[in-house]
Amino acid sequence: MNASGIKFGLGVYTALFIVFLYGPLVVLAILSFQTGPEGGPQFPIIEWSTYWYKHLFGLTPPSRIAPLPIDQALFRSLALAVMTMIVSTVLGVTAAQAFRKKFRGSGVIFYLIVLGMMVPGVLVGLGMALVANTLGIDRHWWGTAFVLHVVYTFPFAFLVMLAIFNRFDPSVEEAAWSLGVPPARTFRKITFPLIFPGVLSAMLFAFTLSYDEFSRTLFASGRDLTLPLAIYGTFSVEVHPNVFAFGVLTTLFSFALLGTYAVLMGLSVRRAKRMAIQEEA
Amino acid sequence: MTMAATSHDTPVETAERPTRKQPDRTFWLLAPGALWMLLFLVAPILMMVYVSFWTQTTFKIEPTLTLKSWITFFTSDTYLGALWTTVRIWLIVLVSTLLVGYPAALFVGLFVKNKTLSTALLVLCVIPFWTSFLIRVLAWRPMLGKEGAINMILMKIGVITQPIEVLLFSELSVIIGMTQIYCVFMVGPIAFMLGRIDPSVIEAAQDLGAGFWRIFRTIILPLSMPGVVVGAIFVSVMVLGEFATSAALSGRKVNLLGNIIVTQVGSLKWAFAAVAGVVLTILMGAVVAALLRVVDLRKEL
Repeated sequence: MNASGIKFGLGVYTALFIVFLYGPLVVLAILSFQTGPEGGPQFPIIEWSTYWYKHLFGLTPPSRIAPLPIDQALFRSLALAVMTMIVSTVLGVTAAQAFRKKFRGSGVIFYLIVLGMMVPGVLVGLGMALVANTLGIDRHWWGTAFVLHVVYTFPFAFLVMLAIFNRFDPSVEEAAWSLGVPPARTFRKITFPLIFPGVLSAMLFAFTLSYDEFSRTLFASGRDLTLPLAIYGTFSVEVHPNVFAFGVLTTLFSFALLGTYAVLMGLSVRRAKRMAIQEEA
Repeated sequence: MTMAATSHDTPVETAERPTRKQPDRTFWLLAPGALWMLLFLVAPILMMVYVSFWTQTTFKIEPTLTLKSWITFFTSDTYLGALWTTVRIWLIVLVSTLLVGYPAALFVGLFVKNKTLSTALLVLCVIPFWTSFLIRVLAWRPMLGKEGAINMILMKIGVITQPIEVLLFSELSVIIGMTQIYCVFMVGPIAFMLGRIDPSVIEAAQDLGAGFWRIFRTIILPLSMPGVVVGAIFVSVMVLGEFATSAALSGRKVNLLGNIIVTQVGSLKWAFAAVAGVVLTILMGAVVAALLRVVDLRKEL
């Protein structure tokens, strides 16, 4: 086959594909530096400025463009993401731990858990709203929305931990048990350090997915807005560059999380290597 | 403190573990997660099915069973129109994510021999998945608008003299937006399957004189089918459950079943929302079942 020609063509295509993936975000980032408050969300850039970033934090004189309601929403989103992260990671680790032994009905339980990430938010959200409505429960971000966030992120944590336990050598644990180390201590000293990279990945998944989640939250959270809901609220009205500035900041936040994760992961791998060397010596 | 308490009774426990304690331990490890899913996933979905048969009055619902909401749904042009729009948009986006994603997957999974480079390219494709979905949707507005980046560039290089207005607030903008957001879920599984093809098979075909198209049709495409099916399942489930992209980019011109549910809930028409939800669930189940028939995933993976 005339592989080199085809390879070149596909390479060019892939480059364009990546432009397609990133182009809109780049344009959004550029336009967030539009001058304000008269500059609109389009080219040309009249004058470069950080007006819309200041606008976001309420540092500009009041204008006809209402500031995004983000201060309270930011707190709620972060709290919700942390709660979701803790609960879904614990559930994911325990459930995956159970799956290390074969048991009857494991197929059903597996699909029950994985269903949580497959069922669209609009359906569970609606269902939860109906349940709350019928039972007369008030919908809140820390209640009905929180349990749905866990329904969504727990399967990710579970699958990550399942993959980790699959490659895990049970003989180290058995060695500890046979030496009389209690199970809780074995878990803390032996199992946990070995599965730590998986736990870290599960936490990153759960936090990020919850922080950006909005379709479940829309139905289940009642009156108080989370960050994604504040953004969703701007969809029906005219968009101003302040939303773009917010988009840039939240994207940077996601990247910072990803960076922290990469650093922690690198440290843990390095530590594992050092331990292995010590053992050999 | 707790440590001392547990270590006290360990020898007995370790001795008994393999025989009696095991099923018990599995049960308690699974119970919290399984219970969570039953209460907060299965119960709400069942509730949705149940409520779809309730009686809807102006502002509330009563648990008197009736088929009225179902009849309203299937005799109303608005609802049937939304169902048809949902199916149409789903099919178009499914095909376009496949067409846009496949060549990129082919390059990353098969043509890039350097493992580090192919991983880096895949990571580059996945990174947008980590950023806010709503921001990515919104980012298409300054791209596609009448004074948007695409129109501006096209006018500058002289391809068009008038801005193309149909780019934003139309079905086309919804399709473009969804294709960009969801094609990653196509690229990943396909690239994964392509990466597992044994290069010697392709070399053998080359040595026997097969051209690229022949190799593509008889080797590459069939071996990548499980990836295509997995990608198609991801994309289908997500597109069918969509409402935000059409809310942001169609200017209320495109109403999907998801949008119907949002509006009905907003006006407290719970029973109608539930009917739309059940229809959507059935549609999704049928699509996934049909896709699983195309390829036996358990055998192939």
